[in-house]
Amino acid sequence: MLRNAIVSSCSLLSKNNSQILKSIGVFGVNNQQKREQKTMPVVGKDSVENLPGSAFGWKQSNWADWTVARLDDVLNWGRKGSLWPLTFGLACCAVEMMHIAAPRYDMDRYGVVFRASPRQADVIIVAGTLTNKMAPALRKVYDQMPEPRWVISMGSCANGGGYYHYSYSVVRGCDRIIPVDIYVPGCPPTAEALLYGILQLQKKVKRMKTLQMWYRK
Amino acid sequence: MLRAPMFRALVLAQLPSRAGILFTTSRMQSNAPAKAPEKIEVFIDDQPVMVAPGTTVLQAAAQVGVEIPRFCYHERLAVAGNCRMCLVEVEKSPKPVAACAMPVMKGWRIKTNSDMTRKAREGVMEFLLSNHPLDCPICDQGGECDLQDQAMAFGSDRSRFTDINHAGKRAVEDKDIGPLVKTIMTRCIHCTRCIRFASEVAGVDDLGTTGRGNEMQVGMYVEKLFLTELSGNVIDLCPVGALTNKPYSFVARPWEIRKVDSIDVLDALGSNIVVSTRTGEVLRILPRENEDINEEWLSDKSRFACDGLKRQRLITPMLRKPDGEFEAVEWESALITAAQAIRNAPKDKIAAVAGSLVDAEQLVAVKDLLNRLGSELLCTEQKFPTADGTSGTDLRSNYLLNSSIASCEDADLVLLVGTNPRYEAPLLNTRLRKGYVHKEQDIAYIGPEVDLSYRYEYLGNRSLTIEDIAKGKHPFAQRLKQAKRPLIIVGANALARNDGKAYIAALQSFARQLKPEDKNWKVWNVLQTNASQVAALDVGYKPGVEEVLAAQPKVLFLLGADGNAVNKENIPKDCFVIYQGHHGDQGAQLAHAILPGAAYTEKQGTYVNTEGRAQQTLVAVSPPGMAREDWKIIRALSEVVGTVLPYDTLDELRNRMEDIAPHLVRYGHLEENNFYAQAEQLIKTQASSFQGDVDVNQKSLEDFFMTDSITRASPTMAKCVAAVKKAQATG
Amino acid sequence: MARYFGIDKIGKLFSYIQQNGGIRNTLWKMYRMDEGKAGTLIGTDKYGNKYYEDPTQFYGRNRWVEYVEHRNLEYDGSQIPAEWFGWMHYKTDLPPHRDGNRKHYKWMADHSENLSGTTDSYMPYSTTRPKVEAWDPKKSTAQ
Repeated sequence: MLRNAIVSSCSLLSKNNSQILKSIGVFGVNNQQKREQKTMPVVGKDSVENLPGSAFGWKQSNWADWTVARLDDVLNWGRKGSLWPLTFGLACCAVEMMHIAAPRYDMDRYGVVFRASPRQADVIIVAGTLTNKMAPALRKVYDQMPEPRWVISMGSCANGGGYYHYSYSVVRGCDRIIPVDIYVPGCPPTAEALLYGILQLQKKVKRMKTLQMWYRK
Repeated sequence: MLRAPMFRALVLAQLPSRAGILFTTSRMQSNAPAKAPEKIEVFIDDQPVMVAPGTTVLQAAAQVGVEIPRFCYHERLAVAGNCRMCLVEVEKSPKPVAACAMPVMKGWRIKTNSDMTRKAREGVMEFLLSNHPLDCPICDQGGECDLQDQAMAFGSDRSRFTDINHAGKRAVEDKDIGPLVKTIMTRCIHCTRCIRFASEVAGVDDLGTTGRGNEMQVGMYVEKLFLTELSGNVIDLCPVGALTNKPYSFVARPWEIRKVDSIDVLDALGSNIVVSTRTGEVLRILPRENEDINEEWLSDKSRFACDGLKRQRLITPMLRKPDGEFEAVEWESALITAAQAIRNAPKDKIAAVAGSLVDAEQLVAVKDLLNRLGSELLCTEQKFPTADGTSGTDLRSNYLLNSSIASCEDADLVLLVGTNPRYEAPLLNTRLRKGYVHKEQDIAYIGPEVDLSYRYEYLGNRSLTIEDIAKGKHPFAQRLKQAKRPLIIVGANALARNDGKAYIAALQSFARQLKPEDKNWKVWNVLQTNASQVAALDVGYKPGVEEVLAAQPKVLFLLGADGNAVNKENIPKDCFVIYQGHHGDQGAQLAHAILPGAAYTEKQGTYVNTEGRAQQTLVAVSPPGMAREDWKIIRALSEVVGTVLPYDTLDELRNRMEDIAPHLVRYGHLEENNFYAQAEQLIKTQASSFQGDVDVNQKSLEDFFMTDSITRASPTMAKCVAAVKKAQATG
Repeated sequence: MARYFGIDKIGKLFSYIQQNGGIRNTLWKMYRMDEGKAGTLIGTDKYGNKYYEDPTQFYGRNRWVEYVEHRNLEYDGSQIPAEWFGWMHYKTDLPPHRDGNRKHYKWMADHSENLSGTTDSYMPYSTTRPKVEAWDPKKSTAQ
C-alpha cells in the first residue's frame, strides 16, 4: 500500500473554467453540452505519454508548496488505505454489500472494514431504498460521522429512487438528504461494481488537498 | 342597465347594515344615514344580538360568528336566494327560511343547527348532488370547491341516487366563452353568481340563464366571448368547478401550492394578490382582499399575465460583441465591462431611465450611485408636466390620486379627462361603476368615445372643453361647483403629452375653486398608469426622457425601460447602454450590456400605487438562472466602479429609503397630502396652450392586454388579443 | 516433502524474480501492483495491457492484467477493453485473438475508460423543457 503514498494528487484545476459556464446554463442556453466520444489513446512504446502520478516529480512553484503537497499525499494515503464504511443496508443492495466483505471479493485487502458505529466510520454506503421514514435516521447517522466523510450511494433506489421513484413514501435519491460522492449504478449493483465504486472513491480521496488548501489560505 | 328600481330597493335596504358589518373604515361610517335606526334584538342559537333593521338572517348570524352555508349569496353581489343552501329554522315559522334573503324581525329565535335546519341542508345538498357530476378527481376546483367542502360538512352520509336505468345524470354542453375562462357547464349548480357579477360589477349583461327547472342553463344565449377585462373574477366566484382558469387547467392542485402574498404591478393600482407557486414556478395569481384597493377583484391582465414571467426572460448577463451579436457572459465580466464604461465617462454624462416595473429599492440605489458619481440625469420614461426651472413633481399632491381609490365611489360627480379607467385601472372603474349603480354618482368624460361599462355624460374630445370648464363658461362647470363631492380624474397619459402643462394648469386651478362640502375632500386626482411612476417621482426622478437625452449621456442605464421612450432614433450614437431588467424586450435590443434582474414575483420590492400607498411584494420564486435582485446588482456594480453604496442588506437600504422619503417604508399606509395651494402656485407660473384633441391610449379591449414587457411576453395575453380581434371582426 | 514444508515457495519466488527480470524489476512490480507474481503471457490488447495466466494459482486469482507501463499508478479496471473482459471474468477461456467466432462490426465504438472525476466526465443534463424560456436576442421579440 505504501506505493500510493508517493502518488501525488493530480491536478484537475487547469481546465475547469469552460465547465462552469456549461453547468450553470440550465435554461437551454448550452446545447454544446454533449459528451464528446473519447476513446482510449493507443500509445506506442516510443511515445510515452506524461501521465500524472509520478512519485516525487510533481512540480510545485516553490519549496513550501512542494512540502505541503507531499504531506497531503501522506495524509491521503492514510485515508484511502483505511476507508471504513458504515453499514447502512436498507434493502436488497445490502446483500451485495455483504458479498464484498466475503472472501471472493475480500474488501479487507483494500483496508475497507465495516464499522457498526458512525463515530468510527469514514464512509457511509447507502445500500437500498431510502424511504421517507428512514431519511431522518440517515441524516442523523451522517451527521454523527466525523470529518472527513464520504458517501457512496449504492443502487438505483439510493441514486434516484429507482423502481420506487413514483412511490409516495420514498425519497427520490439519497442525494436529497446527504451529499453523495460516488454513485454505483445497478439494481442491485454486483459486488464487483460496488468494489469498483470503492476504488473510485479511493481515487477521489487521493486527489484531496486538505493541507494545500489550508496553506493557501 | 342595473339602475332598476327593484334592484336599488334591495340594495338600499341593506345598505346601513352593510356599512356596519362589512366596511369598518371611518369614511364609510360617516356616509351612513345620519339618523341611527333603532336596533332590534334577535337570537341566533339563543345568543342575543342587536342588529339594525333590514339585516338579513345570514348577516345577523355572521355578527355572532355563526357561519351559515351558502352558494349563491355573496357579500358584494345582489341577493338572489336561489340555491336554498342557507335555509335555517326560525322558531314559530312552519317552514325553514332562506337566511340570505330574509330580513330579521324583532325577537326572532333563529336555530342554525337544529334538526330541521340540518335536514333542510341535507335535502338541498342531495338535490344539488343528484345533478352534479362525480368528477372531483378530474375537476380543477377539487380541493378548493365550496360544494366539496359543504357536502362533507352538511351533506348526507349516503346517497339515494340510484341510476338503475343507466339514464345518466343531467348533462349540459360546454360553452366557449374565451381564452381565459374554461366552462364545464354540467358542473354548474345555478347559483348565478357569475351572472350577477357580470351585470353588476363588470357591467356587461352577457351572461344569463335560459330554460327552467332541469333544463336551466347558464350561458350567453348566443355563442360569443365573455368580453370584459374582469372575466377572471367569475372563476373565483364560482362555488363549483363550472368556471375554471383555462391557462391553469390541469396544472396543479391547491394542496401542492405555496402561496405568497404580493402586490400586482401591471397597473398603477397595486392590487393585492396571492402568488401561487410550485417548484419555483409561478402557476397562477389570485386576488387578495383589500378593501382600500381592489376589494376582492382582480383584472384579467394581473391575473393571467403570470405566464409572461416564464418567457423571454433574461437569465444571464450579456455583452454585445463587436459584430453586434449578444454573448452570454459571467456576472464578473459584465460588471467589469459596465464599470469600465462608467469610469471612462465624464461624471455628468451618466444617465438613467426608469421603466414602468421598477421597484423603489432599485430606484433609490441607482439614484444614490449616480449622485455619488456626480450625475443628476435620472428620469422616468413617462412624462409629467414640469414647470420651467422648478418642478411640477416637487409636491406629491400634483401627481397622486389624492382622494383614495376607495373614496372614488363616494363622489357624486366625477369628471374624467383623457383617461379610460376601464382599461388603465379596471378596479378603479369598478369603484366608479359601484358609485354609479349604488350611490347616484354621475360621471362625465372628456376624450374619444369609449365604453366605460356605465353611462356617462359625454363632453366631447375637444381640448377647448377643458378650457371652458376651467374658466367656468361650460355648463358642466356649474354642476361641478354645486356638487358636494366632486372629483376630477386626469389620466397620466394626457399629462404626458407635450401640452400636458395646459391640462394641469387649467384643471388644477379649477379644482382649487371648487368647494366640496367636506373640507378634506380632494378634487384633483391623477390616474397613473405605471406602477413605478409615483415612487420614482417621490425619490426625485425627473419625468420624461427628453432632458436626459438632450444632455448627450455617454452611459445610459435603462431600468426596465421598454416603453419605447428611448429608442434607436433618439439615443446618442456613442452612448454605452446598460439594460437592467427581467425581459428581453425593446430596451434590451438597444443595450450594450444586459444585467438580468428579477421580476415582481421574484424580489422583495416596494411599489407606491397611484394614490401614494407604499406596498411591498414578497419573494415567491427565485429569479431564474443568473438573474439577481435588482438593488443587489447595483450594489455589486457600485463596488466594481469604486463608489461603494453604504448598504449591504435590504434593511439598510430601506433605512436609506426612509431617510429620503419616510412613506416609502410605511407599508399599507396612505400618506395624507396637502399643499394644494402651493402646488397650484407652482403650476400657475407655467404658460402653455392646448394642442389637438384629448386622446386615450387604450380605447378598446384589445389595447388592454399587452402594455408592458411582461404582458407582451405572455402567450395568454396574445391569445386574448387574438380572440378579441376575431370577435370584433365577426361582429 | 518439500511441498509439505512449503519450501517449493522459495523456488517459486526465485522463478518469479527470474521471470520478472531481476530484483529491481520485481520490487517495481510490487510497488505498482502489490504483487510480484509472474505467469504465462496470454496476450496483449491494443492499448498495451498485458494479460497473464498462472493455472497454479487458485481460481479467481489465476488470471490478471498488468496495465501498460506509462499508466503508472493511474490504472483502473475500466481500461480493460470489452474483448478481454470476458476472459478476465472467466466468461470464456478463449482470449480474443484465439476466438474466431467473435463478430466485428463497423458500428462498434472504440473502448472508452471511465472518465469520472476528470474534466471529461459525464455531466447529466436535463431533458425536460426548461421552466423559464430565455430571451434569444437573435429572434425578433415582436409578436
